[in-house]
Parts: sequence; C-alpha cells; structure tokens
Amino acid sequence: MSLLTVAGVHRHFGSVHALNDITFDVEPGTLVALVGRSGSGKTTLLNVVGGLDRPDHGTVIVDGIDVTALNEDGLSRLRREKVSYIFQTFGLIPVLSAAENIGVPLRLARTAPPDRERRVNLLLDLVGLTDHAHQRPTELSGGQQQRVAIARALAASPRLLIADEPTGQLDADTGLAVMALIKGIVDTEGVTALVATHDPIMMALADRTIHITDGHLTT
Amino acid sequence: MTGLLARRARAQWALLVCLLTVLTLGGTLLGTSALLVTRTSERAVEVAASRADRADVQATAYTATIAAADTRSVAADAEAVLTGATAPFRATTTTRASGVMQRLPAASDESRGRLGEAYLSGVDNLEDTATLVGGRWPRSGAGEAVLFDRTARLLGLEVGSVLRLGPQIGRQTARPVDLTIVGLVRPRPDAGWDRDPLGGEGFDPTPADVRYAPEVNAYGPVLVTLDDLLSGGPSLDRLEVTARPDLSAPAGRDLDGLSRSLLGADRRLSGTVGDRVQYVRVTSPIPDLILDLRRQQQLVAGSVLAFALIGVLLTAIALALAGRLATGVRAEEGELLTALGTSPGQLATLATVEAAVLALLAAAISIPASSLLHAGLTQAPPLSDAGLPTSPLVTFAQVAAVVVGALTLAVLHVVLAVRRAPDSGDRRTRRELLARSGADVLLGVLAAVGWWQLRAQSAAADTRADVVRVLAPALVLVACVALALRLLPPALRGAERLAERARGLVVPLAAFQAARRPQAFAAGLLIGLACAAATFGTAFGATWTASQHDQADLSVGTDLAVALTEPPTPAEAARLRAVTGGTVSPVAARNVTVGQFLGGPGDAPRLVALDTRRADAVVRGRTGGHWDGLRPASPSTGPELPEGATLTVTGTATDGPITVTPRLALEDSTGTRTSCDGPPVPLDGRGHAVPGCAPLAGLRLVAVSLPLTGYPQRGPLSTIEATVRLSGGDFPAPWRMGVAAPNFGQVSGTSLTTAGPELRLRAIVNFTDPHELSRTLVTTGFPEPGPVPLAVSDRFARAVDARPGTELNLSYGTTPVTAVVTRVVSRVPSEPGAAAALADVDALSRALIARGDLDSHVTAWWVGDPRAGAPDAVARLHLGEVTTRAAETERLSSGPLRASLPAVLRVLVVASVLLLLGGVVLHVAYDVGLRALEVARLRGLGVSRRDIRSALLLEHAGVLLPVLLAGALVGAATTLAVAPLMIRSDTGAAPVPPVAGHWPWLGLGGLLTLLVVGSGLAVAAVVTVQARRADAAHLRVAS
Repeated sequence: MSLLTVAGVHRHFGSVHALNDITFDVEPGTLVALVGRSGSGKTTLLNVVGGLDRPDHGTVIVDGIDVTALNEDGLSRLRREKVSYIFQTFGLIPVLSAAENIGVPLRLARTAPPDRERRVNLLLDLVGLTDHAHQRPTELSGGQQQRVAIARALAASPRLLIADEPTGQLDADTGLAVMALIKGIVDTEGVTALVATHDPIMMALADRTIHITDGHLTT
Repeated sequence: MTGLLARRARAQWALLVCLLTVLTLGGTLLGTSALLVTRTSERAVEVAASRADRADVQATAYTATIAAADTRSVAADAEAVLTGATAPFRATTTTRASGVMQRLPAASDESRGRLGEAYLSGVDNLEDTATLVGGRWPRSGAGEAVLFDRTARLLGLEVGSVLRLGPQIGRQTARPVDLTIVGLVRPRPDAGWDRDPLGGEGFDPTPADVRYAPEVNAYGPVLVTLDDLLSGGPSLDRLEVTARPDLSAPAGRDLDGLSRSLLGADRRLSGTVGDRVQYVRVTSPIPDLILDLRRQQQLVAGSVLAFALIGVLLTAIALALAGRLATGVRAEEGELLTALGTSPGQLATLATVEAAVLALLAAAISIPASSLLHAGLTQAPPLSDAGLPTSPLVTFAQVAAVVVGALTLAVLHVVLAVRRAPDSGDRRTRRELLARSGADVLLGVLAAVGWWQLRAQSAAADTRADVVRVLAPALVLVACVALALRLLPPALRGAERLAERARGLVVPLAAFQAARRPQAFAAGLLIGLACAAATFGTAFGATWTASQHDQADLSVGTDLAVALTEPPTPAEAARLRAVTGGTVSPVAARNVTVGQFLGGPGDAPRLVALDTRRADAVVRGRTGGHWDGLRPASPSTGPELPEGATLTVTGTATDGPITVTPRLALEDSTGTRTSCDGPPVPLDGRGHAVPGCAPLAGLRLVAVSLPLTGYPQRGPLSTIEATVRLSGGDFPAPWRMGVAAPNFGQVSGTSLTTAGPELRLRAIVNFTDPHELSRTLVTTGFPEPGPVPLAVSDRFARAVDARPGTELNLSYGTTPVTAVVTRVVSRVPSEPGAAAALADVDALSRALIARGDLDSHVTAWWVGDPRAGAPDAVARLHLGEVTTRAAETERLSSGPLRASLPAVLRVLVVASVLLLLGGVVLHVAYDVGLRALEVARLRGLGVSRRDIRSALLLEHAGVLLPVLLAGALVGAATTLAVAPLMIRSDTGAAPVPPVAGHWPWLGLGGLLTLLVVGSGLAVAAVVTVQARRADAAHLRVAS
C-alpha cells in the first residue's frame, strides 16, 4: 500500500496553472526526489501534500488519510502526527535553542518532560549536535541549523518527511552531509521522504525521482 | 535617488504615513503648547486684569497743603499726569478736596476756651458717594452746601439754615463766608470717606487742632461743589485726584506699559507741581496687580511647559519606535543598496531627504492642526469658562515651535535610520550592556537631582519657570519607567523558567518569546511612559484641583465670611441667619502679641475666636484639629432686658466730685455680645438713667463696667457706693466684681451684692495713679474666667515654644489676656501658614470683659452651609466685604490664569492614550509582521491557528500588562513624589495646607481599563489578522 497517493491534483494561482493533473504514488520507506526548475511547482506540490495548501481539484492521501478532505484542525493534526517539514531556510524559531527547537513537535504532542528530554538528546546525538544543544540558531552554522531542522522534523516520528530544497542554502560539503543524513534516516527509521531539490547528488541518493515541469509531471 | 525615494514611498506608504502621523502629532502638541504658554497665557493676563476689583484699578495722586491761589492748577496738573500715566487706556478721573479748618462761630465760645471748627470739602461725584436724606444737592456759585445729617443734628442745623464759616485757623484772616444748607446727606460705606479729615464721622471732639483752645470740636465736611471749592475757596488741606483706567479690553503689552508709567508718575507729578504743594504722592495698586498677574502667568506657564515637555518626549519616543521599525523593515533593502555600491553617505542623504520632506509635511499639517486644537481647547471648559475662547490663529511662536520641533524629530529619524537594527535573535554585546547601564545610571541620577532640586525649592513665593521645575517631572517619569523596564526581563525570565516545565507548547512558546526576544526598548518606554504620563496627568489634575479647594477652604475658613466694617449690632446674627439660611458664628480675629513675640513684618501672630459650639457647621479647611473643650463650661448669667429697658445708676463718693461712665455688655440670643455706653453720671446720690441700650427684646445684660473719673477734694481716697438698677427683671446671683486691667491696686475693699433688680457695689478707690483704667469697677454675670483655652498652630507653637499646658500672656489690643495652650493643631482656619491660635469667642470675650474691655471685638461673621444666592443677599446688607469659599475656589482653580493647567493636562492625557495605543499597534503589527514566516512555519509544524493566536496573545500580554502596570505605578508614585512639590499657591509659595495626593479612583480606573482593553483589542486584532495570513504563501515566498 502506498504511503502517499496524489491523484489528479490541480492548483491555480490566478492565470498560472501551478499544478496540472499531478498523479503519483510513493511507497513507504522511499526517498523520492522531486526535481524541477524554479517555478515549476515543486513547493506548491509539497504544500498541497503537507496540507498547507489546498488543491483546486484532485486528491492527496497520506498514510490512508485524505488530506484534501481534512478541516483546519485535521490538517494541523496531520502535520503533528504524520507529516514533517524541512524548510530551505531551516525555519527554526530564533529565540529557542537547538534542543528547544527540536522539542517543539514533542510539546505539540504533549510528551512528558522526561520523555521529551530523552528524545531530544537522542535526536541531537543522531544529527551530531549534542555539544550545541543550548545554542540559538544565530549561533549555529547553516549546516548545523539544517541538521537541527531535520532533528525537529524527526522528533514526532512522522510517516512522511517533506523537505523543500534542504540544501539550497548550504555549501556543497555541508549539503552533501545533510543529504547523507536524510538518506540515512530514511534507511534506518523507515520514514518516507519527499524532497524537492535541484541537486544531482540528492537525485542520485534518491530511490526515485519525479520530474515536474510547468506544473506537469514529466516522468 | 529621487526615483528611488518615490518608488519606496509608493511601496511603503503605510510606513511613511505612520511616521508622518507621529511627526504631526509631535508638531501639533508643540504648536498647541506654544499657543497655550504665549497667546492664551497673555490673554489670561488681559482677562484677569479686566476682571480685577475696581479698587485695584485706580491711581491716586495725593497732594497736601496747597495755597488757595494754586488749587485749580494743582488739580489740573495732577489730572494731566494721571491721565498721561494711564495712557493708552481711557481713564475717568475724580477729584476730592478738603479745605483747611475754619472757625465755626456758631459752635465756639472763646471766653470759655471752646473752639468750634469746620472745613469745606468738594467731591466730584458727590451723588455717588453720599445719599441725600433731605433737601437737594448744592449748585455751583450759589453759596450752597450740604452737611452730613449727623453733623447738622449736632450743630442744630437743618435744610435752609445758614452756616457761617470764619477765617482759616492758624492762617491768614479772611472775611466770614455764609453758606446756605440746601441738603442733608449720609455717607455711603466704601465711598472713600475714610480719607476725609474726620474719617466721615462728621464730628471729632479731639481733632488735630486741639492746641488752639482747651476744648476743640471739629465738624464737617461742609460739602460744596468742587468748582466752588477750587475757585476762590480756602487753602486746601488735601487734594486727591483718582484716575480709573478702563481695563475692560486691555492688551498685555499696554498693561506692562501702564505699570511702568504709574511707577514713574510720582516723580513726574513732583516735578510738575514743584513747590506749589508741600506733599505729593502718587499711589496705585495697578503695578502690584500686574506684577501679581505676571507672576501667576509665569507659574502656570512653567507647569504647562513641564506637561508639554512630557508630551513632546512621548512623541519623540514614538518617533524613535517608528524609526526603529522602519529601519527594521528596510534592513534588507539597505543591505541590497550597500551591495549595489551605495555608500553610507548616500544612504544618510537618502534618509535626510526623506526626513526633511516628512518634517516639512508634518509642519504644514501641524500648524493648522495646532491652531484648531488650541481653538477647540479654548472653546471648551475650563478655558471657555475662564473667558479665554479664541478663534483659530497662527502666531510666530507657534510656527517656530512646530518647525523646530518637526525638524528636531526628523533629525532623530535620520540618526535612527543610519544605525543598524539588531536582529531578533541577537544577544547584547558587553559593550552595549555597559552603555545601557551607564545611560540608566545617568538618567536615574538626573531624575534624582531634579527631584531633589524640586524638594529643595523655597517654601516662599517663587514663580520663576525655572529649568528644574520644567524638566524634573519628565525626568522622573522617564527614569522611573526606564528603570522599571529593566526589571521586566528578569521577571519574564522567571516566568519562562516556570513555563519551561509545562508539557504543551502555547504557554512555553509565549514565555520564551516574551523573555528572550530583544524587547523593543523604545516600544516599552513609549507604552510605559504613556501610561505613566496619563496616570500622572489624571492624578496630578485631581490633586491640583483638590489642593486649590483645600487652599480656598483654609484661607476663607468657612463657607461665607463677612468682614465687618463696623462693630456688629444686636440681632445682626439673627438677621444674617434669616438671610443666608445657614449657621452663623461671630468671629473675632486680630493680631496679638504673645509675651515678647511680635512676629515678623506683616506676619504678626493672629488670634481667631469663634463660636466653637458651631465650629463643625461653620469651619472649613484641613486644619488638622478639632475645637472641643475651648468653650467655658457654664453659660453666663444675666437678666433679660425688655425692649426699651432703662438702667439707672445711683451712687455716692466720699469727698467727690466723682463721675462714672457706665458701659454695658449685652448678649443676644445667638450669644453675640455688643456693648452700650451710657452718659457720664455724677455720683451725687441721685439716680441717672442709661437709655437706649435695649433697642429690642431678648438682650441679656452680662456685664457692667464703671470707670471712675475725677479727684476727691480731700486726699486721694474715696469710698464709692454705686447701685445699678434694672427697670424690669432681677439680677440672678451670683455676680462677680473685679477691677479692670491694668490693676495697680487702686481699688480695695470691694463688695458686691445682688438684690432683686439691683446690683450694689462698694469699693475704696485710690485716685493717685494716673491710669484711669485702673479705677474701673467691673461686674460680670460669670465667674473669673481664668486663662483662655487656645488651640495653637504648629508654627505658633514653634515660635513661642508652646505645648499643651503652656500658659501665655497675650496682648489683645491693649488688653492683657492670660491664655493656656490646650492643643497644637496644624493650621487655624482663615490663617493659612500663620502663627495663629484659635479660641472660643465666649471665652475670649469673658476674659476681655473681666479686664474691663467691653468693646465688641467681633470683626466678621462666618456662615456655614448658606443657601444659594446668600452672597448677594448678604452683600445687600452692606455689612462689609463678602467672601465665599466657592468663589475663592473658582478663582484659584478655574480663573483665567489657572485654567490653562487643567487644559494642558487634558491634552497630555489624551495624547498619552493615543500614543500608547498607536505604539501598541505599531509594535505588535511590526513584530507579528516580521514573524509572519515564523508563524507560517509553526503552521507547517502542525500548530493550529488557535494555538498560534493564543501564543502570540499570551506573549504580548505578558509584556504589555507588566509594562502598563509599571507605568501606572510610576505615574502614581510620581504624583506622590512630584505633585506636592510642583503645585504652588497663586503667589508661588508652597501651598497651605500642604498638598495631599488625591486619587480620582473612578477616573484612574476608567483610564487604566481603557488602556488595558484598548491595548488588548489592538493586539488581538493584529494577532488574529496575522495568524489568518500565515499560510503557504509565506513559505512559498521564503523558499
């Protein structure tokens, strides 16, 4: 059974047809690279999949849940429990430390403080930032910030990891490290990942690549 | 650059409108304040001058001893000098002149050493100064005169009689003048007769010319027309010309010119009249009046400036906030421009051009806005009630204030624009923290110095609008708010530690954001200071008003006071009670000497005596005391006299002739005592009536004094026996007999018996001592009174080192009185700040009577709770000057010179509220807008809109509420610390009673509710809109 099913999705912004009859499935535990030029519709597709945006037509099913049929609360719950985001600009909360940023999804899940602390420490160890737990985002490098973002995305044990250009702000070495980390997590945690990227290395690491051009799937 | 500016203006129009609004608000405040302290303040002086008492708006030239040939020219010169001195005001002049004494053959008998004399007088407006009671007014050139009816009665003259005046006494001889008496008049009170040679009495048995004969009786004035007096009349003893300038519509600069001119009029008149007169003097209360008005103007202007400064400071902080936010919004744009090669100088030029355009636009709007606001203020109470409404106007001072203010604020904007704004995640560097601490300490020190200087200012009159008085309130407010804001982060960190333990996200996230985000200090300062200023303005206004009430209450001492021009008549109190419907108390107030303590010049110790039984109903003001226990325990006893009752005095004296002149002390139903003098009665064994002492029923006889004059034919001792017999009623026993003060042991072997309607006195009197008073027998219907119980003021107690139980020797006039201090009170009613004592009028009267002083010492009536219209009704009784607490309160709190203060306070409070709410909206909108992406990412993490809204609301409430609370506390504390030092009396001295903080709980509650609810609604609106907008679009843009 597919973890993600996108069927006949359309999305217009005025006269711009951002997504045009998009249909595809993603199997669980797969790292899927979503590839396309800027403005091709990658971010729109990720937002529709994650429930941050609604399609004009079509259906999106994540882990058996019809995302397009969910109301606001249902979408929030979906993002808390099933789907996690990794943003290109990291999306960390500036006033929170690395550990506190990672703990945000756990607080949303009302995890008990001792369990939360344990989980945060585990994730910090996983992304190699144990020594930077109490530093704020402005005190971390870009790569470190993205690793914190990845750790935060994993905190609530999501079924689907959505990453929008996760290495777009990083230099090549750091980007490679981040991509390796995502690939490792998909392989070891059994998480499904849908990653929008231009990076050929990421495409190479992906189990599957989906090309999108001017709102159409081309592969 | 112009293109960039234009494009940026189109793109950021909302931001520019915000900046322009703040600049305009600041400019409008400045312009309005400038108009208040210049035009309105000047107009207030003009209105106050136009409303001044008639007695204060006159100038009088006094000249004395003028030869007959010079009278006309001297009068003309005096009038010319006064008219010139009062220019450009149109002045009306009146002249009053009195000739030298002339022999009055009809009242003279030089063979017996008796000389009668009289004098001619002329008054310009005789019809206004006297009432015709018979005949008609005299005509010029017809040899006609009018007399006071009393004088005519004494001389046995009537209308139609001819009065012959002989030559001038001590001067050249002249042929007699015959004048036909064509009318009889009665002098009107307060019509200047006190400056008549005989004080308007019409007769004087001991005039100044007494050296010309053993017995001299002076009569007059013989009133002729002024023309007759000045044309061929006698030499003048005195001539006075009074000019009354018309100040109904004065201009301020003309008032100052008038003052200067009058101060030099004395010298000018002296130079003009030369040696034609022996004495010249020009006096006028006008320079003092104008000086007093200018002092009050300065005093109020200082306070207005102080409050305006707070408003301008708030505006500057609001601009700093807006500028800082603008810099934040433009941070990326600046980085881009820098990356494109724009130099810092070019960026500064860009900011300067933009600021200059904004400043000019703001000035262009602020000038008409301030004119309209000022006109609106003056056309609303209290300024309109004070007679200060004006149409919109533009003045140079207003334009200058607006332009300079707008440009200064624009410079501030430029400075902020070229500085880098900190990022939201930045932590302060050590250097920044050090600089901030230094600034805090400096601000605190300046505020402390300002407050200390305010505290150290003299309690005496000082109306200068000095820098300290203007700056201190703003400094104290800013420093306290700034310091309070420094306490906020530790408090928020404490809350953060508590929130950290929570499971959920909303509360901890709000606490983390509130505690860790670099708080916009300018926003906090604006909100805190605006709240403090609004609280301070509201509480200060209430405290100021309460202080004016307190001062008015204490200075008048009662609701309605009548200062008597003559001793009261029996039943006057009952008449007042009927007219006013209030509680009436007689009051005796005068300077006293306490042992050797005379007080300072114009600052003699005062004794106020009133009916303490009615003190609660009559006395007003924060005196800090009560008046129980001052009244004698037992009432006086004495027979009640039927209407028209006559006493008879019969007596004998061994080795006479001895004469006694009986004086009676009578008490009416209200307890007020009056005295009645009988004629001299020889102690010849026959009965002599004392008539006319019981004009109405119900008076009680409470004391009789019998001063003995004469000298025994053989030796100094004489045994006196006298009987006072009533025509109706009996003397109740016991009566007491004593001797008047000073008692030099001239009376011995006294005895007194009461037998039905008779008082029988016996004494052996020694006639050696020259003091006749020491041979006055006094009988009273009350026991020896003992020391008069006194409640003395703090200052009195300090001056004579008195405390409860201290006995004092007072001189009440010439009568020695023993008193005892029963308590020390803060202040005595009607004597604010004076070394004063309060006694019961009955106790004082008894002490004085016991020492032979039977005069009525009542100088005023005090009325508590009079009905509406009572002041006018009392004024119609012509008893004396009427003062009311309400009128004094109105003068102090809403008179033209005072009304600007409540008005500027109102502006300050409204401006503070607007700036606060504007600051909240600005700060929250900017903050939430800046975090739109962050909010959208929170949505991406699965945080619901409701939770985001709650977190943002909690975060802002967590910051705003403590800031508002701190602002309110600072405002209240500043009111307590600064208001008592800022509020001065109308003379500029520290007010008495001291200022007490007054809290208008309803107003303050309403204000704080408005601020909290208004801020809450503003925050909720902004947060709701931002939370709704946090959607995928933000993420797409960010990506």
